[in-house]
Amino acid sequence: MLNCKVNGKEIKVKQGTLVIDAIKQADYDVAHYCYHPGLSVAGVCRLCMVKIGDNPRLQIACNTPVQEGMEISNEDEQVKDAVKWGLDFHLINHPLDCPICDQAGECELQIQYMKFGQYDPEMAEKKVKKRKVVDLGSKIVLDTERCILCSRCVRFTDEVSKTNELGIFNRGDRSEVGTFEDKPLENDYALNTVDICPVGALTSKDFRFRQRVWYLKNQSTICTGCSTGCNVKVYYNEEGLFRVKPEFNEDINGYWMCDQGRDVYKFVNKDFRLLEAQSVTEGQAEPLSAGKAAQLAGEKLKELTKVNGPESVGVVVTGQYTNEEYESLFDYMVNKLKVKNIYHWVNNSDTMDDFDGLLLRGDKNPNTYGLKEIMKKYSIQTNMSDLEGAIKSNTIKTIVVAGPENQAVYPDFNERASLFSQASNLIWFSAGPVSAATSKHTLVIPTKTYAEKSGTYVNYKGTHQSSHKVTTIVRGALSLSDSVTLMSGESILTKPVGPQKAMKTNFFVNKSGEL
Amino acid sequence: MAEVKIITEHYDKDEFISLEGYKKFDGYKMLKKAFKMSPQQIIDEVKSSGLRGRGGAGFPTGVKWGFLPDNGEERYLLCNADEGEPGTFKDRKMMERAPHQLIEGMIISAFAVNSHKGYIYIRGEYSYAAKVLEQAIKEAYDAGLLGKNILDSGFDFDLDIYRGAGAYICGEETGMISSLEGLKGQPKLKPPFPAIKGYLGKPTIVNNVETLASVIYILRDGVDGYRKYGTEKSAGTKLFSVSGNINKPGTYEVPLGYPLMDLINNECGGLKPGRKLKAVIPGGSSAPVLTAEECQKANMDYESLAQLGSMLGSGAVIIIDDSNCMVDMLNVIMHFYHHESCGQCTPCREGTGWLHKVVSSISSGTGRLQDIDLVDEVASRMMGRTICALSDAAAMPARAFIQKFRNEFEFYVREGRSKVKGVTDAQL
Repeated sequence: MLNCKVNGKEIKVKQGTLVIDAIKQADYDVAHYCYHPGLSVAGVCRLCMVKIGDNPRLQIACNTPVQEGMEISNEDEQVKDAVKWGLDFHLINHPLDCPICDQAGECELQIQYMKFGQYDPEMAEKKVKKRKVVDLGSKIVLDTERCILCSRCVRFTDEVSKTNELGIFNRGDRSEVGTFEDKPLENDYALNTVDICPVGALTSKDFRFRQRVWYLKNQSTICTGCSTGCNVKVYYNEEGLFRVKPEFNEDINGYWMCDQGRDVYKFVNKDFRLLEAQSVTEGQAEPLSAGKAAQLAGEKLKELTKVNGPESVGVVVTGQYTNEEYESLFDYMVNKLKVKNIYHWVNNSDTMDDFDGLLLRGDKNPNTYGLKEIMKKYSIQTNMSDLEGAIKSNTIKTIVVAGPENQAVYPDFNERASLFSQASNLIWFSAGPVSAATSKHTLVIPTKTYAEKSGTYVNYKGTHQSSHKVTTIVRGALSLSDSVTLMSGESILTKPVGPQKAMKTNFFVNKSGEL
Repeated sequence: MAEVKIITEHYDKDEFISLEGYKKFDGYKMLKKAFKMSPQQIIDEVKSSGLRGRGGAGFPTGVKWGFLPDNGEERYLLCNADEGEPGTFKDRKMMERAPHQLIEGMIISAFAVNSHKGYIYIRGEYSYAAKVLEQAIKEAYDAGLLGKNILDSGFDFDLDIYRGAGAYICGEETGMISSLEGLKGQPKLKPPFPAIKGYLGKPTIVNNVETLASVIYILRDGVDGYRKYGTEKSAGTKLFSVSGNINKPGTYEVPLGYPLMDLINNECGGLKPGRKLKAVIPGGSSAPVLTAEECQKANMDYESLAQLGSMLGSGAVIIIDDSNCMVDMLNVIMHFYHHESCGQCTPCREGTGWLHKVVSSISSGTGRLQDIDLVDEVASRMMGRTICALSDAAAMPARAFIQKFRNEFEFYVREGRSKVKGVTDAQL
């Protein structure tokens, strides 16, 4: 450990700590654009200037390691002047089109100007004109006028995705970020460049113009797109989820996440959801509440296991639920109903073990590990491939399916659904609509998605991560645990399901009530 | 004191260009001497000689060599021949008139720093010099002066030429290294310095053409012989490229510490008839300009010019007489730095463009009085805040021009025209 002083405050830092991180550790703000802890040091924005000891020449904090006894100041007048001018240099050719810019509200130029700037601009000359609305492919749009050339995106494609699509072309104040030969920026991690872009130069096609960021709340959760279990933040409001961004976790995903994971929020939103339970008997559909449906399912199962025996029931589970849900489901099925035909349904057995070397895995389930553990605990050794024969030979007459939450990642979804439909009774817990389920007696029960419940996911290497409920999208949808409680004939405490309405909020009034 | 020809002694002889001719005048003799010395002895000689880098920064060469880490890693010796500072043309003359001098200097230096691979990074526009050097390198290889086991010394050294593509910034040593590595010519963040991590991440020494050639004469004349010329802190002779409003522009070798006015009046034949000296840029376009009055006190060495707030730089002396408009001249200089900024660091990328636009608005007659102070203010905030010195190089002349010739700038703003141009001498 090294001792140093930041603005007079004594702190201890680890050997090798950069001054910029020491300042943050001491709880002081430091202006900077190009520095990113997940990338190499570029040292080009020249904003993180600090005074070290009485060295009259200011140093950049991002390329200076702390030394024993170092006295660091970023509140010195000389530093303040350097930062003020540093900001002005960044802004003189910036278009200042905040009202139509998607980054407004979370733009580092705005944030740092409010913190360190607040001066009158002196630039009276014509601004440099550069390319706008540059299409970088299917995911990203580039505005080179807004760009402050911090080179984070270029370093990201060089160092992290190692795809090297981006470069800075031309020089001086004509410099522009671009792709070589105008090829698109298409890699599985491209949208990270949008996250690390401190300004509105790189915007995501999926998110742009859809919401002002100050209308969104955010909460940390776990990405359920694959078995890596990246830590993420979802941004949402009353209308639903709008985007997902990675959150730092050294052991799991570092600072990044893949682009496929960013799409995972989509199936959570209402348009893709099963909004109420349905009971279909011989083609006659009848809607009913999820709670009612679960109670009905419980009664049915009780009767069917009594009449046909527990071996006539097959349960199909995917690795997309939480440990807590598996616990209650297995307890109910195995201990209460004595059902042992529980099958593990995977998204694609050929690609399950795929890994791209960075984050993206072929196992598209967040909790395969947890499911396997619980199956081991209940000594269940079944093979999904045996199920077909059992249904066709009518050994299994009743099928209970749990999942998948995200149908889009199961390429055999429809094929399986028609197989399950061959059993005379089908009870399906699903987050999305299951039109392919057409058994004689079908009961489809809406379940919650990962964003609507709390629970534990175990990732590919056995790391347990708990995720917390973000918001409610479909009122009345049940978690598997709630369903099991209802199926067992007990009741759960739920708020009465009424018409959904959002609370009115005036976003322009701050806490003190002033505009 | 007058012109002292040590490096340039035989530059007037065409035969000096070829290996045969070069040998006739003791060429490669010092290489043989060097091989009889130990590398450390050579480094010590260079250190004691007081030789300072002739490219512009004036850093002691022996000290630079001493920074190399002793870690057994492969080392590179790079010759910086990307002579791009406006007004400078001494290296071109050296390479065109005495290519073997540079090669010999490089082999000796490489032997001293224990490097087996060298490159000459030559300015893209110097196509003739590159051709001459290429021929000379071929001759040297054929004569066993380059390659394996040079002159049976057991020392190997390979040398290649790399031509630049016209960027001023590639004359900055780390920018040059980036360019040599095949990257965009942009300076690298320091530390680490090239001596620790340079070309391809290996310890690298970058020296100017004149610096490398000087090593030969330090060995020939000994430390005392070399120190006979120059001052205590600025030892030896130096080549100056003199241009501008002068009768005999050209390259002159004079001892460091030589009075500027003597250089102008004796060696260079004085100003054109009827003209008065207005100003001199003593060390290339980035050196702060000196007024005629300051020129009287100026000696051509590192300390004297620093005392006057300017610098020796690359030794490019640009003479400005009273027929020149300082506003227009600054506009040309600002255009150059705006064009040449690599765009990496924000203060330089944006500042050089800003300065150019403001100065050009003054010189097109649309400037405001406050613009004059703005130039000084912007320039002052570009100094000492970037990776390399290009930002300072743009800021220094801007500040000096405004401070020393403010009346010309004010006149231009008020009257919307130059104080000098389009006006007869009688009116001045």
